[in-house]
Amino acid sequence: MSASSVIQGVRKVLTWVIALSLILCAWQALVSLGDIPAYVIPSPRSAFDALQGNADLMRELTWQTLTETLYGYLLGAFVGFLLAVLMAQVPMVSQLLYPALITSQAVPIVAIAAPLVIIFGFGLAPKLIIVAWIVFFPVVVNVLDGLSSVDPDQINLARILGGTRLRTFLMVRLPAAVGPLFSGLKIGASYAVSGAVIGEWTASSRVGLGTYLLTANAQMNTAGVYGAMLLLTAIGIGSFLVVLALEHVATPWRYRMTAPAWFTRLPARSPVDRGQNAASPR
Amino acid sequence: MTSPVPIDGAGTPRYEGRGSVESSAEIKLSIRHLSHRFGNTVALDDINLDIAAGEFVCVLGASGCGKSTLFNVVSGLLKANAGRIALDGEDISGQPGRVGYMLQKDLLLPWRTVLGNITLGASLTTGASRQDRDRAAELATRYGLGDFLHHYPRGLSGGMRQRVALMRTLAAGRSLMLLDEPFGALDSQTRLGMQQWLLQVWREQKRTVLFVTHDVDEAIFLADRVVVMLPKPGRVGAAFQVDIPRPRTLDCLTEPAFVEIKRRVMALLYSQATLPAVGSPPA
Repeated sequence: MSASSVIQGVRKVLTWVIALSLILCAWQALVSLGDIPAYVIPSPRSAFDALQGNADLMRELTWQTLTETLYGYLLGAFVGFLLAVLMAQVPMVSQLLYPALITSQAVPIVAIAAPLVIIFGFGLAPKLIIVAWIVFFPVVVNVLDGLSSVDPDQINLARILGGTRLRTFLMVRLPAAVGPLFSGLKIGASYAVSGAVIGEWTASSRVGLGTYLLTANAQMNTAGVYGAMLLLTAIGIGSFLVVLALEHVATPWRYRMTAPAWFTRLPARSPVDRGQNAASPR
Repeated sequence: MTSPVPIDGAGTPRYEGRGSVESSAEIKLSIRHLSHRFGNTVALDDINLDIAAGEFVCVLGASGCGKSTLFNVVSGLLKANAGRIALDGEDISGQPGRVGYMLQKDLLLPWRTVLGNITLGASLTTGASRQDRDRAAELATRYGLGDFLHHYPRGLSGGMRQRVALMRTLAAGRSLMLLDEPFGALDSQTRLGMQQWLLQVWREQKRTVLFVTHDVDEAIFLADRVVVMLPKPGRVGAAFQVDIPRPRTLDCLTEPAFVEIKRRVMALLYSQATLPAVGSPPA
């Protein structure tokens, strides 16, 4: 079991490496075969070189953008989850909020950025809000679906078993939303970094990858533009993979036959042996 | 061998004192003048039924005869328009949580292990204690689930999943268990095995069982008494005592006594026009 799951893991990683390499190869092929000048599209090699030449600066920029993305993401996920739970519990709130949710996503995100800067200034706050604005929506929609997908008979069973309202919610409804929650989190993870970049483009007191990208573009530093793009992409893919890993840990019932020992408080294994010669049934 | 107990179509409670339950036996569940309607449809029309403690009663009927409504009313999920349901003499109308309950759908939670699903009742009320889990493990081990305690339901067969569902019902500790076509989704070989297994559990655990089914063979094979329900309006047509000795094996499915009860039950089910003639007892 464990040996085969290790092999499966290695295969998954290899698939990712090959897929990403193919993209780089296609990029290289486009540049070489199309004979495209470096100031229009630089080769992957020169983009990487541009990063290495400014390693210290790039590390700082990446850290800044990563921070905005991460905090905004956590804020958005948290707010989205709370909203979904609230909406699932109080139908009135749900009916009132649903049109508002749709409206929030219909407004172009770039249009929201400007007023946010006016309200919150050039600091971290407007970036967090923009990232959260993008992330919360798929989380709300998916968790809400998960919470309302529970079979009514399942709820009836909980009533028959004498379940309290709170415990029924925690043990029957909420776990049903874990899978959908991660679907929402995965969508959010790949979009979140765009929010941070838009926030930086609007106004920023501290320089991040987004601001750097604009500057490099203005200076015709094409290799720098592509270097920043590579790093932003890496943040996006990285966040997605982290969420994927968390999902794997949090939902073992989707891919395992038996519960992992760390996942559930197990009774001593002894009843299994004792059961064989247990006292007569009552 | 058989002693059908007639209930006349109009539903006068001729049941009382007429051997529905022997007077010496303790009455576990008592249903009196139970009626329920959905809009203009009469789902239940003056149902009267007594079940003795430890008795295995099958309610048999075609779909639409009100057996599922009866089930929901007894379980407390639905409050009937009229009538009284008493468990051990206490009125339990509209009170879920007084009887055990199992459906054709196993309703196992995919994120809980077999053991976690069996202890669900405890988890939903006070939280499962170590004793709850030990007791659940013992039950599961005794009834053939010992190798699967820490398995998720995903990998289990339909039959195994229904075993877990019954263990969950047992572990909830109610003296009366309602089973609504629990084996309805299983293939016929698995179903036969599950019926024998259920009888073993019932014999050893000494619970009272009200079992709803539309399968005539299943009803007669399992029951002490088969109550036939008829549709439009949903009512009790007749009750048949099944005096085939226990423990019953598959052989009894072809015994004359079995076939005789089956003949009468089928006659009642499929030709309602002859209702008064069928199973009318010697006065």
